[in-house]
Amino acid sequence: MKLILPYFRQFKVQILLGMVCMIIVDGAQLIVPQIVKSAVDVLASDSLDRAMLVRQCVVIVGLGVVMTVLRYAWRILLMGSARNLEKGIRNQLFAHAMTLDPAFYDRVKTGDIMAHATSDINHVRMAFGFGIIVLVDTLLLGGAILAIMIWTHPKLTAMAMIPMPALIFFTRYLGKKMHDFHTTAQESFSQLTEMVRESFFGIRIIKVFNFEPLVSERVNHAATDYYKKNLKRAVVTALLRPLLGFFFNISSLVILIYGGTLVIQNSLSPGELVAFLQYLGLLAWPVIAIGWMTNLFQRGLSSLRRINTLLESQPRITCPDKPVPIPRLNRRIRFSHTGFSYDDSAPVLSDINLDIPAGTRVGITGPPGTGKTTLMYLLLRLYDPTRGEILLDNIPTTGLDPDALRSCIALMPQEPFLFSTTIKDNILMGRHLDARNLDRVIQTCDLTDTIAAMPGGLDTLVGERGVTLSGGQKQRLSLARALVEEKPVLILDDPVSQLDTRTARRVIDGIFHLTQGSTCFIISHRLSALAACDRIYILENGRIQAKGSHADLLITSRYYRNAFAVQQFEETNET
Amino acid sequence: MKLEEKEIHLADLVLAKALWPYIRPYVWMLVCSTLLVFAGIFFELSIPLLIQKGLDGFILGSEGGGSATFLGFHMTEFKGFAVFFSLVIVAAFVIDFCQTLFMEYSGQKIILHLRCALFSHMTGLPVAYYDKNASGRLVARVAGDIENMNEMFTSVLVFIFKDLVLMAAIFVMLAMLNPGLAFYLFLLVPVILMSVTGFSRRVRNVFRTIRQKIGEINHSFSEGISGIRIIQTTGSKDTFVNRFRKLNEAHFTAAMFQIKIFAIFMPFIGFFGTISTAIILWAGSFKVMSHQMTIGELVAFLTYMKLFFRPLRELSEKFNLLQNALASAERIITVLEKPRDLQRITRKRTRLDTIDRLAFDHVDFSYDGETPVLKEICFDLQKGESIGIVGQTGSGKTSIINLITGFYRPDAGRILINNQAMDAINIMDIRKKTALVMQDPILFSGSIRNNICPPEKPLGGPALKKVLEQANCHFLYDRFKGPDTLLKEGGRPLSAGEKQLVCIARAFACDPDLIIFDEATSYMDSGSEQAVHEAMNRLMHGRLSIIIAHRLSTIRHCGHILLLRDGRIREQGSHQELVKAKGEYFHLLEKETL
Repeated sequence: MKLILPYFRQFKVQILLGMVCMIIVDGAQLIVPQIVKSAVDVLASDSLDRAMLVRQCVVIVGLGVVMTVLRYAWRILLMGSARNLEKGIRNQLFAHAMTLDPAFYDRVKTGDIMAHATSDINHVRMAFGFGIIVLVDTLLLGGAILAIMIWTHPKLTAMAMIPMPALIFFTRYLGKKMHDFHTTAQESFSQLTEMVRESFFGIRIIKVFNFEPLVSERVNHAATDYYKKNLKRAVVTALLRPLLGFFFNISSLVILIYGGTLVIQNSLSPGELVAFLQYLGLLAWPVIAIGWMTNLFQRGLSSLRRINTLLESQPRITCPDKPVPIPRLNRRIRFSHTGFSYDDSAPVLSDINLDIPAGTRVGITGPPGTGKTTLMYLLLRLYDPTRGEILLDNIPTTGLDPDALRSCIALMPQEPFLFSTTIKDNILMGRHLDARNLDRVIQTCDLTDTIAAMPGGLDTLVGERGVTLSGGQKQRLSLARALVEEKPVLILDDPVSQLDTRTARRVIDGIFHLTQGSTCFIISHRLSALAACDRIYILENGRIQAKGSHADLLITSRYYRNAFAVQQFEETNET
Repeated sequence: MKLEEKEIHLADLVLAKALWPYIRPYVWMLVCSTLLVFAGIFFELSIPLLIQKGLDGFILGSEGGGSATFLGFHMTEFKGFAVFFSLVIVAAFVIDFCQTLFMEYSGQKIILHLRCALFSHMTGLPVAYYDKNASGRLVARVAGDIENMNEMFTSVLVFIFKDLVLMAAIFVMLAMLNPGLAFYLFLLVPVILMSVTGFSRRVRNVFRTIRQKIGEINHSFSEGISGIRIIQTTGSKDTFVNRFRKLNEAHFTAAMFQIKIFAIFMPFIGFFGTISTAIILWAGSFKVMSHQMTIGELVAFLTYMKLFFRPLRELSEKFNLLQNALASAERIITVLEKPRDLQRITRKRTRLDTIDRLAFDHVDFSYDGETPVLKEICFDLQKGESIGIVGQTGSGKTSIINLITGFYRPDAGRILINNQAMDAINIMDIRKKTALVMQDPILFSGSIRNNICPPEKPLGGPALKKVLEQANCHFLYDRFKGPDTLLKEGGRPLSAGEKQLVCIARAFACDPDLIIFDEATSYMDSGSEQAVHEAMNRLMHGRLSIIIAHRLSTIRHCGHILLLRDGRIREQGSHQELVKAKGEYFHLLEKETL
């Protein structure tokens, strides 16, 4: 509720005006039959007043015009406000999604967030827009009819309300069931979606191994499961409306029997009974509408709750109240007994101690899954260490504003990720760089020829709707992105794994040349790429196993020696 | 104007025709639903009538001993009437429930059928289709679009039919009451039809735009979240949020346009109703005065006319849903009409039991017919031999695989299998004898057993164990539950190297003649790489094998090595020969050892 209140406040004029328009239309609708009635009454007296008839017809047409205009107005006003609400919440959601830390997205599936941004917001909008419309309509109409009924005969009204408790009970019960079945069906649906996604992703393997029947069968199975769960929900949904009608008809029966007895006993006039039954008939629509509205509001409310939970989830990495300004000068990086675990059980990193003076080139290697990437994420405050601390010029990183910290560290992540926009935007990411420097970066990353070969040069679209790049090209683009700003610290996570040896060599040399004076971390499995580093750390099982220069490690570390030998053996010519 | 209308009509017809085969088996269900709807209407209308009879017969009529007749039932006692009334109420409830449920049931059934048909059709589409279309969008076809059509079957179709019948019936009633006045109303019909079709065209366009924008919004979220580390570390959060705002604004504008169209159209229909009332009142009054009709007839006419316009409004409201569903149907049909992999369908091809020889004879290839990717590729591979292909990224290595596996066809030249042109052989036979191990180890969620066993000949326990051992997959028994290990999305919890070993086991399991490694070891550390190499060598033994790599170390043991640059074979020969030639290969080798 807190979430949509500001929107109510912002659009209160539109909403009120829309409601007024609706009420006027409702009233005008009642006037037309009255005019017709009076015209017919005149006819009944076997006379025709031409002038009167003209006036009556003109009034009807005039009312028609007024109603058309007002109907147009309330649709625009009320539904427009609902769309505005949708837009506002969605913007809020996206902006919030961008502030959450990666740890959050390790837990929550992207598809789920997307569902928040589309179907959940949609439910809220429907409740907000249609909900108000139906609410005004039913409350006004239903209230008026009920008032008249009570005024006519309170006791009979009370009798008519006998099925009410049962009706309320069943609607609530079914509403809850509907919600539960809806949730299970939704879950089954997301499983189905994931299965389809996975199949399309691995289509080559499916085709080569003739797995088509197998995956078709799997998807069949998942689709059938979804179908069954949907049917379960359908049973409940199908029950709701007829049940409303049923209780309503019971009311009619009760009035007929009880009212009939009263008439026979002469304590109620026949006219009153007829009128009463007619009013009850008029109540049918509001009752049905209330059922519909309950459904609408229930869905809207549960969606709103989901959205709220997401918006209220706070990033674990926060800026301290009084962040220490980022030190300007020295920038010595120290890891002190740093440890980390993603799920508070198995530690990914333990007792890491590093002391890195500014300008050092650090190589990090080790078997996969030993925490090399995580170590760098800690430095960037994408995650915070669970033990120990990381110090930048003796200031713990947790005392720094994460945005400020990141502004002095450039990262090239392990998996090259491209956004579906132009090559240029992918490199610049909204930052500014003059053409000459951009050229220099592109050249360093060995992209000059690649880009020249693209149909639109730097403005070529990549990704979903543009050209598809090879793994190596993606990697180099991602590298260029990291080099756009000259930052004092540079982290390259496996920068050359997809490049052939020749290119890799050239690129690494280029980077070292371009970033002279910066502290540079390079993670790589290819030891030849690390040879030029000032010092190399070997990480194994989350601990630092050995450190030293390339030459040192060849002597001191068995792992390093073996790995290098294997690579060397494979790369050297025997003859 | 008229021509345009025709086009739209035709388009709808085309859609209906294309969807018909999927709906046909369930037509009886839809017919039953419709019948049930009519039964429901009958009960709905009979209850007010019953009340009327009860009032007239028992309460207002004679004191105590009245009677009422309804549908041939003659009731002489009030008690009996009450029982009858209760029965009708219960019947109405049951019919209404059955009708709604049955409608939902048939809709779901059609959707299930359509979804499965669509998916299996899509798996039969050529790989080129998947290369051209983002997988996210393809998933949306099977998931979201099908879901949208559900609405069409569950409520729209049946109700549209019901409303149309209702309108026709009312019109007949009106004509019977007074043909002259009904004629006035009849004049309105073309105007109404025209505005409905004009409206439907606009609305469908708008719905298309809205759906497209929602797609982009979804994409923004998925991209923003996948790239969150980059966005946060390059400080470009605001750029992305601003870009999203713009997109969201565009969606809002489209949505507002939709509201506007409805806000004009819906009151317009109401306006027609009011106008007709005025016209009929005017014309009717004169008719009454000249004694061509009675007052009662005029009142009845006006009452029925009101009933005439109500279904019309409901009809247009259903249009809202229908248009949305049709927009989705359009997209589904486009996919369903995409021809399947041609080579798969053709039946009159030579059978193939084993692959003993594979040869490329001056093969040229391009993806778009313009930029050549492969030129003049020739090689010959016999049983027991292996070919290594090296070259920089983009030199055309992977395209060779795309040709061998029949994902694409060459522009010129021939590919020969056992000295026969590949075109003459059923591609399924070739694929049955081919295994592919790719750079990204692709595993599906489910058990290891399901991931590696070929569907047509599931392996038994010992055979499966042997396959896993040959592929160096001991770890599955050591740390997991052997072949019953359940993999989650993306092959979790296996590491990259372990996943690749399972992929090799899959190749073992299908016992291929031809085995292709596409950069199978590039994501690996030295330790896992050795395990993978061991398994690879075991697999290659006695088979034809093609190894693609950008690192020379991987392929140096191959009998024959091709060095590719810009789609041409620049150098070829054994490792020793190429080294001796001191050409490009030698230079590469020198650089790599540095």
